[in-house]
Parts: sequence; structure tokens; C-alpha cells
Amino acid sequence: MRDLYLIGTLPLWLIALAGAAVITLLVLQFRGLRRRLPLGQTIFLTLLRTVVYAGLIFFLFGPALIDRKTTQLRRPLTVLVDSSQSMGFAADPKAVPGDKAPVSRLDAVRDKLTGGKEPLIQKLNRDYDLRLVRFGTSMEPIAPGSLAGMRAQDPGTRLIELLQAAARDGAAQSAILVFSDGIANGDRKSLEGMAPLPVPVFAVGVGQTEGFTDVRISKLGAPEFAFRGREFKLDLTVQASGMKGRTVPLFFNRGKNLITTRPITIDSDSFEQKVTLAFTPKDLGTHAFSVSIPAQAGEQIVPNNHKEFKVEVQRDKIRILTLSGSPAWNYRFLRMAMKQDPLIELVSFVFLRTPTDTVDVPESQLSLIPFPIDDIFLEELKNFDVIFLDDFSHRAYFNPVYLERVRDFVRDGGGLAMIGGARAFDSGGYGDSALREVLPVELDGKGVFETRGAVQTTLTAAGKAHPITRLLPDPKANEEAWRKMPALTGMNQVRGVRGESLLTAGGADSAVGAPLLAIGRYGKGRTLALMTDDAWRWNFIAVGNKETPQNHLKLMRQAVRWLAQEPSFEQVRLRPIPSSQPGEKIAIKLRVLKDDFTPTREASVQLRVFTPEGEPIVVSAAADGEEGEYAGEFTPTREGTHRVEAEASLAGKVLGKDKTSFTAAFSYGEADDGLPRLDLLKQIAETSKGEYIPIADWNEKALERIAARLQSIAPAEIVEQRQTRLWNNLWPFAIMLVLLSVEWWTRRKWGLI
Amino acid sequence: MNRRKFIQIVSQSLLGAGVLPSVAQAAAADDRRRLQFVFAQIKYRGGDWNPHPLSVAPLMEELMARTSVEAAATRYEASLGDRDLFNYPFLYLTGKYEFEPFAPDEIDNLRRFLTYGGFLLIDDALGQQGYGFDKAVRREMQRVFPGNEFKRIPPGHASLRSYYLLRRVGGVRIVSPTLDGITIGNSMPVIYCQNDLGGAWERDQTGKWTNICTPGGEAQRRDAFHLGINLILYAMTENYKEDLIHVPFIRRRLTR
Repeated sequence: MRDLYLIGTLPLWLIALAGAAVITLLVLQFRGLRRRLPLGQTIFLTLLRTVVYAGLIFFLFGPALIDRKTTQLRRPLTVLVDSSQSMGFAADPKAVPGDKAPVSRLDAVRDKLTGGKEPLIQKLNRDYDLRLVRFGTSMEPIAPGSLAGMRAQDPGTRLIELLQAAARDGAAQSAILVFSDGIANGDRKSLEGMAPLPVPVFAVGVGQTEGFTDVRISKLGAPEFAFRGREFKLDLTVQASGMKGRTVPLFFNRGKNLITTRPITIDSDSFEQKVTLAFTPKDLGTHAFSVSIPAQAGEQIVPNNHKEFKVEVQRDKIRILTLSGSPAWNYRFLRMAMKQDPLIELVSFVFLRTPTDTVDVPESQLSLIPFPIDDIFLEELKNFDVIFLDDFSHRAYFNPVYLERVRDFVRDGGGLAMIGGARAFDSGGYGDSALREVLPVELDGKGVFETRGAVQTTLTAAGKAHPITRLLPDPKANEEAWRKMPALTGMNQVRGVRGESLLTAGGADSAVGAPLLAIGRYGKGRTLALMTDDAWRWNFIAVGNKETPQNHLKLMRQAVRWLAQEPSFEQVRLRPIPSSQPGEKIAIKLRVLKDDFTPTREASVQLRVFTPEGEPIVVSAAADGEEGEYAGEFTPTREGTHRVEAEASLAGKVLGKDKTSFTAAFSYGEADDGLPRLDLLKQIAETSKGEYIPIADWNEKALERIAARLQSIAPAEIVEQRQTRLWNNLWPFAIMLVLLSVEWWTRRKWGLI
Repeated sequence: MNRRKFIQIVSQSLLGAGVLPSVAQAAAADDRRRLQFVFAQIKYRGGDWNPHPLSVAPLMEELMARTSVEAAATRYEASLGDRDLFNYPFLYLTGKYEFEPFAPDEIDNLRRFLTYGGFLLIDDALGQQGYGFDKAVRREMQRVFPGNEFKRIPPGHASLRSYYLLRRVGGVRIVSPTLDGITIGNSMPVIYCQNDLGGAWERDQTGKWTNICTPGGEAQRRDAFHLGINLILYAMTENYKEDLIHVPFIRRRLTR
């Protein structure tokens, strides 16, 4: 197709001036010819000249012919198919769990794209430059043939972020066709504050909001750590759709044990209620809790009725149980040390009366309480961290079988200290009790409690390094402090030390070298034996000598901490690991101390991570940064709680072990809220100048509408254009030449030339 | 009376009367140190530091018969300047008359003793408020803890519940139905009774009570023994009976 265009560049005023000059010439020519020729011949010759002049003026406008050729192109089209887990929910709200194979949202999309004689996906592939992509937390291009095997498996839907990415990647005149339920749980959950997408998005919505019935627990806020004996609270939100008028129970469980239940009355179709629950943990360790609502009739999504969480219950205080055989100064000063320590919670029983003592008043006038043997040994023992048997013999008060409970308590991680006296060790009958194998000293049933003149204290090599007996940071000052400790006046004989001896008898006494303070381990627990009931003298006599009483207090507090396995007294200590997401690399860090509690870079560290399925994975760890710090890296591949165990050894000797856990979980909450967000899809379509199409309306006509809409917005064609200046053409020149030749020939014939 | 009892009475009398004073005491000192409890009585200058020389043995007998405490049968006589003082965290100070002021180093020693875990029972054998022993005691305690005066001990105090649930304060005479005390931090290391407890505890060599308790008679004496035992156990266990585990049980008994 060719069109004439005036593309001259001369100013119009110049052309008008030339026209005026031409008209003047023609008038003058007409007048001159009229004097010599009749009127008809004058008009003929003037007309010829007028045509020539008109042609010249016309050429001043730059006339040109333009050829145009239009070529239609295949428009780029990105088809995004949502493969997140929510696409596995039933497409039809009326289909309830239990019905025979309800059609999922993804199935509905698949049917619409691949069903029929000529599947629409093929038609799209034919008509467009098709790029088929499945998406959830990320995008993955797929072949049209892969649609059949695609599963709803992505743990989240970054709908808005991925639409933005697809729009950025798209070519000019491209468009996006997205099949989704509209659930968006990435960083962006709405279009608020976002620039419109630069390409039209045609959103095909699957799932229905009307008739959608679901109750769910969302926004669960629970602490990762709690303190034993202190109430912790958890906040959660119960949301419900299409369940107005029903009352559902909310169960709060620890493991399988019900803690409490609360009725939730749903009073609107779009219901939301915040609930706060509380629990006071009594046991240390990591405990699994859950909140749940039973599946309701007609409910579409049942998994979101249940949420689990773990809380690591720690002690805010070290709980100590002391059993003292009688009131004594040793108890008085031990109590002083513990009571002044804010980290220690003391429960003590002092046996004020023996079975042979008589009283002169009715029992009701005594403050003595019955020793709760069963409560202590059968129920409460596990809630203590350390037991002190202070010059106490079980013989007069309870069956030795209860000591087996104490043995098991230590084996399972508790601490046990036996303080000497006439009722302790062999003198207390422990040589043939269940504690014989537990204590760090050897008993043979023959050891007696001896009154001594003046027993001085000597630090052993182990005692010089051990944190229990380190009263002062400087080793020499520490030895001097021990050397100045007041003398003791009584000691329990033991056959030997099974664990490590920290203090021995010194000075001129005949008991030189006899163990005075020994420590050991039994199972997961720790034990301590102090073979005297006179340790109070290290406090009060020191005061009398104008020395500090703090050494005794510090010794007792450090012993408590070591027995309770306080982390600051552990040689191997894993740092807390924050929660992460699968695929996210995490650092596992730990600190390693030598036996003298100084950091080391020479340790051999073994790290093992146990997956939620219990599969162990060895992680290599190396010295990192500061002295004694080690680190390894691990990338969890799936959701769940991962257990981490660390063991460090030096020169073949195990320095210690530690364990912790961390949780890997996606933060999307894909299965939490299955309600389709078709409103969001409509908004996306509108703001991008696309169109929202319900899945039920997705057919060939919809395809045609999309094509028409795209054509109206931005035609997909190429126009080729060619321009020819008439001035460059021979014909105008020839016509002018002919006209001027005719004029010349006529003038000659009429005798003007 | 059997032979053993006779010898015991004679030896106690001799010791109490100061006939075999320092030699016997020194010999027994080491053995006494080993025992869980030794009743140490303060000797001071002026006045009468020992108005009831035979009062301690009956109390110790009672203490051992009723409780699990193993105690020395005889007392230890200590002066505040004694190097050995801190071996005996329980001190008893009694008398009838005004006595000489303690030396500065004795005041300093007593302050350290009481601040770091020792206990002092003061017993006025005269029972005249503002006169004699009472006047001297208040003067000296002001020097030990300036600005920290005696205050009445409330009925629920741990010292009144450490063994017996006491509702009355015994003694030879009831000058005050309550006890006074000085509080240092969270503890009460000084308790003052003005009812002459020692007089109520005292028996002569034949076993007869040397003083009549008025107006309550033997019940009042028994209260004096109960208070003595309670104060000893309080000194050895401090506020143990205020621990949470004991509170509901004691409350139940007191409301019966």
C-alpha cells in the first residue's frame, strides 16, 4: 500500500511567497498575451503555464510516496502454574474430606489446560511464543508435557514476587497468564505500595471462597525457652470461614497429655479470635506441645487445625535438696552459702529429732513436719538438680531402696554431694547401699569418723586446676588461700578415691594424704564427697582470724554449680542455634576448654547432626576465631527438629560432650490458610490491564478474549516502510517538459516567436 | 541416785563452782569442739557474769533428750577477746548487775562474730528494765551495732517455731511476754530475754530447781526450757522453719 505524503522541509511562508510571485507572473503574462492574441488563445497559453507553475509549487512541498508492509508476530506469553501445597486442596468447597478423590485445585488447572481433543496448552503453544513455568517459592520452566506429572508440593507461594520477576524477564508485547488460587505468603502479601506490573497479567483463579469451610490455628507465638516453675504464655489466633454459629473445642496438649481445653464460639463467617494459653513447666528439657481443634464437619483443610511447637525448659535456679542428719553448724554455714546465692533455690530437711528422742508436749505443739519420703523420692526427685546428704544416714528414717532412686537420679544427670560426719559414708551405712557405686570414694564398710587434732588442707594437682577449688584466679594466690584455711577437727575415713581427689589432709596430722574432697561422675551425673563435717570452720574461724569467709562460701557455690552441670562449668558447650529454613546454611559453634578450664585450639571436635528422621550426619568442625571456639556448617534439607551432638577430645581423652537442637521450618505457612484469594488475583489483573478469568470460564473464548485484549493494548506486528520522493521520479519532469514544449510549439504556431 | 550420777553431779558442781576451773576446762576443750553444740557463756569484767552456774547442764540434758543435737554437757566460758571464741558460734550473755564496758577489740570481735554467722542470747537475770544488767547490755549493744536498737520479735518469728511452736516466753519471772532482737540483714543474730531463763533452767546438786517460777510455776519453767531449745536450734538452722515447705504445715497446726 502506497500513500502520498508531503514531506518537504521549506517554510510555508517561502512557498507562499513563491506562489505570490507565480501569480504575479501569470497575471503579467495574461495581460501581455491579451494584447497580441484573442481571449481564447490567451487563456489556453496562460493555463498551460499555470499548470507548470502549480507543479513547481507542489514540488516545493516535498511530495513523496510511502510504501508500508505489516507482518504479524507470535506474542511472547509466560504461563505460570501455581504448584504450591495449597493447590492440593479441593477445588470445590462442597467436596469434603472423605469424598471419593476430590478434584484438587491443581487437578482443575491441569484438566483445563490439557483436557479435550485439542488441549488449550497446545493452542497456546501454537499461537504464542510460550514459556511454561511452575512456581511456588521459586520459578522453574517446564515442558508442556510435564503438566501431567506436576504435583502441589512447594512449601510456599511467593506469588507477587515471582509475578514481578516474570514481568521483568518478559520481552516487549509479552503477557503473563497465571493459574493460581491467589494465596500469597511470601514477603509480599498484597499489592499495597507496589507499582503496577509492566505487562498485562491474565489471572485464572481456581478454588472458591463461597462455601469454603475451614477452622484453623494461625499466628502461634510460643517461647522457645521457658523456665522451670515459671508460667509461660502462648498467643494464637483461631480463624474460621463459613462456620458461623458453631462452637469448637481448642485443646492444649503436652505430648499426648491434655493440659487444658477451651471452647471457641464462632460468631461470624469470617471469624478471628486471639487466644492466650498458659502453662507452668515442672520438668527440665525440651518438651513438645500442641494446640489443636478437631476436624469439623464439612471442613476443607484439616492439617491447619493442629500446630506443634517445642519449648526448652531451663532452670532459672539450681534446685537443691539437702538432707541434714541433725542441726549443725555445718548446715548453718552451708545454708548461708546457698541462701545468699540468687541462682540457688534451696529445699532443706533437717532431722531435728531422732526416733529415740522423746518430747514432753503433744505433737501438735511441735513444728516438726513429717519427712515426705514418697513425695521426695518417688515424685519430686527429678525436679531437683543436686542433692546434698549432709551428715545424714538413711538408716533411721527410710528403707535403703529409696537410695536406688537417688542412684538413678545421678545416673540420669543429677548431682549428689555427701558431706561427712558421724552419719556419713561408712559410718552412715552407705558402704552396702545403692550409693556405694555412685560416690567418688571407695567404701568398704570399715571407715569410721575420726576426731583429729588439726587437719590442714592441701590442694592436689587436680585441685589446683579444678573450678570447684579455684577460689582465686591466680594459681599462686589460690594455693596461698588454701594454705591459710583454718584447720579441721574431724574426718571420715574412706578406702580410696574412685574419681579425682581435689583436696587431701595435710599438715602434721597423721591423716596426711587422706582424701578430703573428691569428685566423680556416674552415668550422666556428677558426685562430690567432702569427708568432714567441719567445713564451716573454713568460714567462721577464718572470720575470727580476720580473714575472709568468702572462700568457704565460694567453694560451696562452685561445688553446687559444678554438680548441677552449669553451662559455665562445662568444658564443651554448644552455642544456641537459631531456627532456620531448609536450604539455609547454618553455623554450629561451640566452645572447648581443657581440663584446667583454659581454652584450647588443639582439641579434636566431632559434630553430628541428627535429621528429624534420626539419620546422623557428621559435620566437620574447625577452630574458629577466638581461642577455644570451633565452628562447623550444616544445611538442613527438610523441615523438622534437628538434634546436634558435639564431643571434644584432647590427646585421646574426652573433654566433654554437649547437645542441643534447632528447628528448620519454612516460614510461609502454606497449609495454614487455604482460603483462595481470588480478590488478589482480580486486583493483579486490573492493575496490570489484564483480565481476571474464573477457572470455570477458561475456554477457547477466553483465549480469544485474551488475544483481542492484547491486540488492543499493544498489537504484536512489525510495519516495514519505504519512501520515494516524487522529485526523484522521471514522470513529473517529463510532464512539465511536455507542457512547456506544447506552450512553445503553440506560441510558434500563433506567431509569437 | 547411782554412782555415775553422783560423780557427774559432783564434777559439775566442782566445775560450776570454779573449784577445778581452767585445767579441767582445757582438757575438755578439744573434745567439746568436736561436738555439734557447745553452750559458750561470756565472761566479762564487773557485775556478775555467772548468776546461775548450774543452769546450763539441765538445758543441755533437755536438748539432747528432745532433739538430735549432740551437745557438750558443760558450758564453755569465753571472754570476748578469746582467740577461741569463733569455735563456738552460740554465745550466752547473762548477769544481774551493770558491768564494765567491753574493750574496743572485744566490741570489734563481737561485731564480726555476729555479722558473719554467730548468735548471741542475752538473758537478764535481774529483770529490771533500765537498770543493772539491762542498762549495761543496751549500752554495749549500741556500741556493737550503732543505731541498730532492740526490737520486739513478732509471734511468728522463726526462733519461736524452730522446734516447739511457742506462744509464751518462759523464765523465772515474766518481765516481758515477748523477746527483743537485733536484725542484721535477713537474720537476727541477737535475741534478748528479760525473764531470767537461766534461773528457770538451774538445778542444784541434788536435782532441785533453785528458783521458783512465778506466776506460772512449772509450766512457765517448761516454757523457759522450750525457748532455750528453740533458740539453740534457731542459731543452728537460722530461718529454716520459714522455708516454704514448712509454712503450710505449721500454719495448720497453729490454727487447730
